[in-house]
Amino acid sequence: MVKRWSKTALVVAGSVVCMVAAGSASAKPDELAGYTATQATTLEIYGLGGRDDVAQGRLDIANKVMRDLGVTVNNPVSGFNNQAFLARLAARDIPDLVHMGRGDIGTYAARNALVPLGNCLNAEKIDRKAYRQAALAEVTYKGQLYGLPEFTNQITIIVNNDALAKAGVNTADIQTTNWKRLKQANKKLLKVENGRLTRIGFDPKIPEFFPLWVKWFGKDLISKDGLKAQLNSREAVAALAYTVGLINDHGGWNKFKAFRDTWDFFGRNNQVAADQVGAWPMESFYYQVLADGNKVNFTAKYFTNRKGGPLTMLSGNAWAIPRGSKNPGLACKYIKALQSVDSWRTVAKSRFDLRKRQGRAFTGLYTANTQADVKIYEDIYQPIGNKDFDDAVALLVRAPRYAFAVPLSPASTEFKLAWTDAINRVLEGRQTPRQALDQAQREAQAAIDKAK
Amino acid sequence: MSAGAPDNLPTAGAGVVSPRIPHGLLGRLLARGRGEGPRFSRLKSLPFVLLLTGISVLAVYPFLWLISASLKPQGDVFDNKLIPDQWAWNYTGDPSPVGGDERLFALPDLPVLTWVWNSVWIGLLAALLVAFSSAIVAFAFSYFRFPGRNALFALILATMMLPGAVTMIPVYLIWNEITKLTAESGSLSFLPDIGVNTQYPLWVPNLFGSAFYIFLLRQFFLGIPRDLFEAARIDGDGYFSMFRRIALPLAKPALIVVVIFELQAKWFDLLGPLIYLRDTALFTLPLGLKTILDQQGAGGGGEGRWEIIMAGTVVTVLPMVILFAVFQRFFIEGIATQGRKG
Amino acid sequence: MASVAGNTATGPPSRARRWASGFRERETWTAYLFILPWVIGFLALTAGPMVASLYFSFTDYGVEQIAGFEPTSRVGLDNYRELLSDPKIATSLQNTFVYTLMTVPAKMAVALGLALILARLAFAAGFFRTVFYLPDITPPVAIGILLLVLFNGSVGVVNRALGFIGIPGPFWTTDPAWIKPSLAIMSVWTVGGTMVIYLAALKAVPAHLYEAAAIDGAGPWRRFVNITLPMISPALFFTFIVLTIAGLQTFTEVYTAYFGAGSTGAEAPDAALMNVVYLFRQAFEFFNMGFASAMAWLLFALIMVVTGAQFLFSRRFVFYQGEK
Repeated sequence: MVKRWSKTALVVAGSVVCMVAAGSASAKPDELAGYTATQATTLEIYGLGGRDDVAQGRLDIANKVMRDLGVTVNNPVSGFNNQAFLARLAARDIPDLVHMGRGDIGTYAARNALVPLGNCLNAEKIDRKAYRQAALAEVTYKGQLYGLPEFTNQITIIVNNDALAKAGVNTADIQTTNWKRLKQANKKLLKVENGRLTRIGFDPKIPEFFPLWVKWFGKDLISKDGLKAQLNSREAVAALAYTVGLINDHGGWNKFKAFRDTWDFFGRNNQVAADQVGAWPMESFYYQVLADGNKVNFTAKYFTNRKGGPLTMLSGNAWAIPRGSKNPGLACKYIKALQSVDSWRTVAKSRFDLRKRQGRAFTGLYTANTQADVKIYEDIYQPIGNKDFDDAVALLVRAPRYAFAVPLSPASTEFKLAWTDAINRVLEGRQTPRQALDQAQREAQAAIDKAK
Repeated sequence: MSAGAPDNLPTAGAGVVSPRIPHGLLGRLLARGRGEGPRFSRLKSLPFVLLLTGISVLAVYPFLWLISASLKPQGDVFDNKLIPDQWAWNYTGDPSPVGGDERLFALPDLPVLTWVWNSVWIGLLAALLVAFSSAIVAFAFSYFRFPGRNALFALILATMMLPGAVTMIPVYLIWNEITKLTAESGSLSFLPDIGVNTQYPLWVPNLFGSAFYIFLLRQFFLGIPRDLFEAARIDGDGYFSMFRRIALPLAKPALIVVVIFELQAKWFDLLGPLIYLRDTALFTLPLGLKTILDQQGAGGGGEGRWEIIMAGTVVTVLPMVILFAVFQRFFIEGIATQGRKG
Repeated sequence: MASVAGNTATGPPSRARRWASGFRERETWTAYLFILPWVIGFLALTAGPMVASLYFSFTDYGVEQIAGFEPTSRVGLDNYRELLSDPKIATSLQNTFVYTLMTVPAKMAVALGLALILARLAFAAGFFRTVFYLPDITPPVAIGILLLVLFNGSVGVVNRALGFIGIPGPFWTTDPAWIKPSLAIMSVWTVGGTMVIYLAALKAVPAHLYEAAAIDGAGPWRRFVNITLPMISPALFFTFIVLTIAGLQTFTEVYTAYFGAGSTGAEAPDAALMNVVYLFRQAFEFFNMGFASAMAWLLFALIMVVTGAQFLFSRRFVFYQGEK
């Protein structure tokens, strides 16, 4: 009885498949009807997630500009997410303005989903030269600008003085010019108790900061025009082998990661306060986490290249206008209001006042706009008398001079995925650095060739 | 606790027809539930009971760990103690402005209470709809004799084996087209938005019955003596009123099983909301919990706020445990019935 | 079931004509009206989409095409060729099969063991059944999260317990060799449903068979092999198929633990990349709908082949009551 049913069921399933196969020729997705622009009185913004005082302050300024024009702004709190943005494009529910990672701009520009900002810059008289070159390089595709960068997030090394003192390591040993010395310091700093890792020595922060380690040699992961991946250069392989070695000194990636996953990364009892790390390179915003947390003793230092010169990598978000935006003109006005020197100055001032009231250090704001940075540092910033933080700010202010950014490619998302996957394979012990980067090179180049 | 006698079942169709009728599959299953096969003596049972008690610890321990972890302050979660050294209430209340004191129901930008409510109403609506629509179809397949019946029923059985992944993409594209049509610029703009990024795609398909429930209910209807229907026919009942007045009330136990199964399925579903929903206010609990994990967990450069994640997990798990406690019989008998379809 | 059997049985020679004449009956039209919801659903949500999916699998349908930025073009077998050349397809298939091979036999064995004991217990059987079923009502997202915290290599309670008895536990959630085993263990934790099915089947075995065997002097092992196993073989077979199909489509637990918006690239390990997870990413994270449709058909074909093989296999081992 049951068997007969199942047999019939199989037969029917089979015939459905055949029917489906036969009928497939007639199925056609309908062509899209012309998309008519409507007179927008609402500006739809997408991609700005959690908002701190600085973000909210800038939004308030820009919203007021829109209100004066009789435009309402719809800007739900929701971080940029590829899946959601693609779904909105597909449904032609296209926002007027998006906030996305600079690393994703290339993919969307190549997919024809963003409009170049040349007209916008001209119309609103936004000074391109005021922006940091490295940050602009991250959002320029085929000579056209597709986004206006926001922060710089320059990377410096944070040294946990207490940990160094306990381990008997000199601050001078925490440097990246001499890799041998750094490796020795790493081994001395890391701590294993009863077979369990309780302090990381020097965290090289790979895969995230891998481009920085390759730049140590003066090399880039991709050609300037973003069309030729160079992931398996001799230098890249050497950088990967070295940084993986730093991690393996801790007893392997598994031990390392499992330990790091339990940190209270942004909390009061963060890894410096909890003595869970000796030193590591980190983005500029992290100094505020340190200022908010339990008391720490730290030193900020430059990441240096092989010749001892300072080196830092920029990354962050940008504002972009999608193709299909119902009102690119308004979107451009909004960008201008958000990013003007005055806006930056105003929000920096309120943050400074807020921090002062809370009795906490103001660790600066680091934007892609050089003029804004100068204003913030000269007009607003005041040393707070905590030498650690004051020195850090002085360092961060100078850092962007030594900055680079990974050039943008038409398959920027896939490109990054290729090298992060490769590094993970090496960390997991499945491939040698050479094998992994060779494979990444093939994957990345194929993706770029397909997208360009 | 164990399978009881059939008269413990909610009396099907009380007041409509005679209460003493066989309860289809469920009834038959219960009837032969007890006292068959060899059994251990009480004494011989003892070592096995001890063994099972040991295994029970494995089954229950994760729940206890979870609840206890959700009541610990940040940093104590991984001390793996069942009784917290220090208690912390991570669920409700006003957090202090300094980071590190968030509460589950007061998380910035994550409306957890709304998610609970969304899960409840979508689950209930979807379950009731699918129970009703499947029952109508099942009734037709059990009562009527019509040309094409066996082929169509075999087709229903065949669709049960169809992996959801095959239709997932095109069904999404259908909803995507509907989104464009009901948008301001679309040709059906007078309709409310019912496409992508609304909750409609999560329950509208339940209007059309579901293969497995149709199968289950049909088996049940087949157990109802035909005489009952013929008597109603003679009394002048139409087909639909026969379905409503006789078949539905008698099938109550099976309908409850269907409702519970579908409620559970919706409560578990991550893929559907993940595909269709974007705005956090629309989320159901599974997607909400995943969002909490992504934001507060260590993986995404988050903060490693595991006590909040654990509290969210408790809120997702607990309602099912309560539902199970109340309707245990239907869970167990429903699952057992599933095995009989083989 | 008797009434159906009466119906599907033989018909007189004029079967076709009788079939057609059925449509003259009012009852037939009423019946079709009753099943209309399912017919609509089948056409709109199953058959139609399958046709569309097959068509898309031969096109470059992506977000540019859906949004209307670029026209859709047919690409012939390109998507199917890419199935062969994309190394992640092979990885995901291998992961899925390995995971299914780990979970299905383990779940069946554990469930059967528990059910055999429960069926014979003189007391507390109901209590244990409830307790063992409890994990099965845990939402899969919660299971994925529990996996991360319980199996954390350095502070998880599993390794703490293993350390207690002198075994240094592996790094379950980061070591590629241990990711699938830990997923499988979590899956075996939810063995309750399968156990309940076996329990019901065991209780349906007529007592007289055991009595007769006992009289013949058959020991417990022979009674198990010669009576219990054949009598519950339909239930075993059913769970075998259902668990296999479910295993081949594993998504939620894995996606929750290792993928999603939170994963920055340091996550999303290859060792956890299941078939449906990769399908989901291709379809909804990258919107490569053409390629993803081809993946879906590959998955469909594989499930059909595996299930077909299981049916063939069952013909030899499954014993249905009332059949010769």
